[in-house]
Amino acid sequence: MSGDASRRVFLRGAGLAAVGVGLAPTSLLVRTARAAAGEKVLVKVFLRGAADGLNLCAPHGDPEYYNLRQAIALPRPGSSDGVVNLDGYFGMHPELAPLKPFFDDGRLAFVHAVGNPQVTRSHFDAQDFMESGTPGDKQTPTGWLDRAIARIPGSEVTQAVSFSSQLVRSFLGPEPVLVAQNLSSFDLHARNWRVEAETRLRAMYEADPTAVGDTGSETFEAINTLLRAPTPPPSNGAAYPTGTVGSSLRQAAGLVKVGIGTRCIYVNVTGGFDTHSNQLQNNTTDYRPLGQALAAFATDLGGLLDSVVLMVTTEFGRTAAVNGAAGTDHGTGYCMMVLGGRVRGGRVLGRWPGLGRGQLYEGRDLAATTDFRDVFQEVARGQLGIAESLFPGYAPGPGVGVVA
Amino acid sequence: MPAPETLGPRVVLHLLSRAGYGPRPGEIAGVLQSGPTRWIEDQLDPGPDPELDQRLSRFPTLSYTTSRILALYNADPRSIGVILDEFTSAKVVRAVHARNQLEEVLVDFWFNHFNVFVNDGFDRYSISSYERDAIRPNVLGRFRDLLQAASLHPAMLYSLDNYLNTVPRRVGNRVVGGINENQGRELLELHTVGVDAGYTQADVVEASRCLTGHGIDNLNTSGQYVYRTANHDNDSKQVFGLSVPGGGGEGDVQRLFDHLASHPATASHISKRLCQRFVADDPSPALVERLAGVFLRTDGDLREVTKALFGSAEFWAEAFGAGKPKTPLEYVASTLRGAGAEVNQARAVKAVLQDMGMPLYACNPPTGYSNRGADWLNPSSHLYRMNLALDLAAGAVSGVAADMAGLVRTGGGNPDDPRSAADAINRVVFGLTLSSATLGAAASLPTSGSVTVPARVGGLLFASPDMQVR
Repeated sequence: MSGDASRRVFLRGAGLAAVGVGLAPTSLLVRTARAAAGEKVLVKVFLRGAADGLNLCAPHGDPEYYNLRQAIALPRPGSSDGVVNLDGYFGMHPELAPLKPFFDDGRLAFVHAVGNPQVTRSHFDAQDFMESGTPGDKQTPTGWLDRAIARIPGSEVTQAVSFSSQLVRSFLGPEPVLVAQNLSSFDLHARNWRVEAETRLRAMYEADPTAVGDTGSETFEAINTLLRAPTPPPSNGAAYPTGTVGSSLRQAAGLVKVGIGTRCIYVNVTGGFDTHSNQLQNNTTDYRPLGQALAAFATDLGGLLDSVVLMVTTEFGRTAAVNGAAGTDHGTGYCMMVLGGRVRGGRVLGRWPGLGRGQLYEGRDLAATTDFRDVFQEVARGQLGIAESLFPGYAPGPGVGVVA
Repeated sequence: MPAPETLGPRVVLHLLSRAGYGPRPGEIAGVLQSGPTRWIEDQLDPGPDPELDQRLSRFPTLSYTTSRILALYNADPRSIGVILDEFTSAKVVRAVHARNQLEEVLVDFWFNHFNVFVNDGFDRYSISSYERDAIRPNVLGRFRDLLQAASLHPAMLYSLDNYLNTVPRRVGNRVVGGINENQGRELLELHTVGVDAGYTQADVVEASRCLTGHGIDNLNTSGQYVYRTANHDNDSKQVFGLSVPGGGGEGDVQRLFDHLASHPATASHISKRLCQRFVADDPSPALVERLAGVFLRTDGDLREVTKALFGSAEFWAEAFGAGKPKTPLEYVASTLRGAGAEVNQARAVKAVLQDMGMPLYACNPPTGYSNRGADWLNPSSHLYRMNLALDLAAGAVSGVAADMAGLVRTGGGNPDDPRSAADAINRVVFGLTLSSATLGAAASLPTSGSVTVPARVGGLLFASPDMQVR
């Protein structure tokens, strides 16, 4: 990853940062909130570690799946712990069952055999390629979502929010982004001298021309925005699971509901997706909160889900055959999930390459038939209205028809 | 380049903040007197530290073997909570109080290079031995020894699934076991030659074949390293320019370690990572190549490589640059050290590290935490940093004692006068490097207030942008 020069420079929001302590930037917030009501939001959920697409959305109609996967194949629909049938050929992992109603009413789609044309089986490189959006080029200074944010109007620090412990590669670049794990109690600890502390700390950070100074100023802007527009609790009886994915999606839904100009949300998910061993148990552990959290997110948003497209992705798929340890090694093609009111769901999209001997990539992996950039661009086009390519050196195709 | 001794407190602050976790009160003056070169020599040859030993004596389980920890767990599952609490607390105590600061930073660096994850099954029981027996003894030794110690420790063999990596065997008409590529790949990509060295998928498989048979005796009871001949693929192999003849048995992996540890790509990869940690997020290629040269000439002698790093003009020039953003651990440890704090109970400190996105020993991916400072700058983590400073100065970090008025007095200042207090902390903690904006914002605080002058001045200065970089 390159870049000091690429570190975001907090200039466009500087007007807000200059607003004095204790003075609500009311007019701006009101304008923002009005503009944001029903504004479209793109949510990207990244499962780090290479989540296995063949057990996320399993081709139970293909006997070859059972030959390859042996003991870690998911049983056919109707069996105990069997897959949830989707279309007679594919079925989703049983822990994703809470999402079935959204598939059935056409708001959830799967896109199978997605991948990156520069095949690498390194987690680090593959994540870099997926997030920079430039497969094969590790020197790209910006992330694809930074480039997307640069193309839409507005400059609030809450325009792009990343639920992660660090700035993710997708947002690397000059656009401001709020990186957070927990947006509640987002305030300074300075009882009895709160205003004095903020005034002086702001002065220190505003005088610092480096990335550290920018971060401090972004922090104060975020504090003031969030203090004045706290995110609301879950609606419609939505029940989020405990843990990171539940907490992040609960807060993501809150941001959509409160409408403070957020257009792009990133949810970083780590866990046991790198299933080199004991895959069945590991998948159960990780897919359970994922399925529950996604279903809660959709329930929580209710009609506002029409303004959201959430896509779940990972860096590559896993070997088609089971390895020696009831697991799978690093592979190629993987499966995305896309959820939202305007998603053309109820279908498994993408061209299925098959699992036969001659069909596997290098004789071992599910081949990739859809370039991830085509899907990312399609979603960005639909949600952020971006027509021009977000991927240097690449002209994305029309996509797979996942967004209406 | 003038001798470092002539360059004053700025240079000493730089050294103590890069080669260690920052100065404790009075340390800048002490090192100025004895000389930075002498300090580096001492740090490269760590001596006894009875005061640290005394502090660590309240963690009796630090010396327990994996077998003993498993036995305790089997007798009472609650015991592992106590054991891990002691293990992780010791990391905080060492960072804040150890005399051998460079050793602690290197242990952190090398653990992170050969990262394993504390919440990963068997590694809960073996992680203490991993750091104590595989990492710590080798950080100033030979890379070849460190590579073997880390790679064949049960914690690593478990973390990267090598205990399941076996030659496929036919039992009746079934095939049992098989190659698991996880450790073979990371051995090349992360631990030695690096992802851009030019190896292929076939090299990954061949490296994995060399590693077959190296496993763990019994995950639930002994947890010891074991080599099982029957699980080893004993045919010949070709790994990234190395020919391993058939019949080599457990020696295959020795040949592989020899080959990789002396490979020029490893020398460059390791040197770059060291430079990233100690010098700059994007270190100069010339420095990396010079260090790689030292690595190759000295047969991977890490003491010599580390010494060359601190002897480089690039290292000292950084004292006059914008600084490298601190990771959460570096920020928290340097703040506690600067405040002259005593860590009586580390729980609150560990919790805040988690909030900042850097829980101790809990980086899940094998890549470890980023060595690039810029990767750690974000508003959420930043708020936790400022709040830790404000809480610490107000005496509100549970289990940690810090006396801001005492700190001001150590610097010869008047605790009732904001300007005098700020000047004193600037001298003692920052080596007189504070920017005028930072110093001015703290020094111009009103004298009266419901919070004491030292708590407000200290809180602001430890929360300042100046404290965020090293």
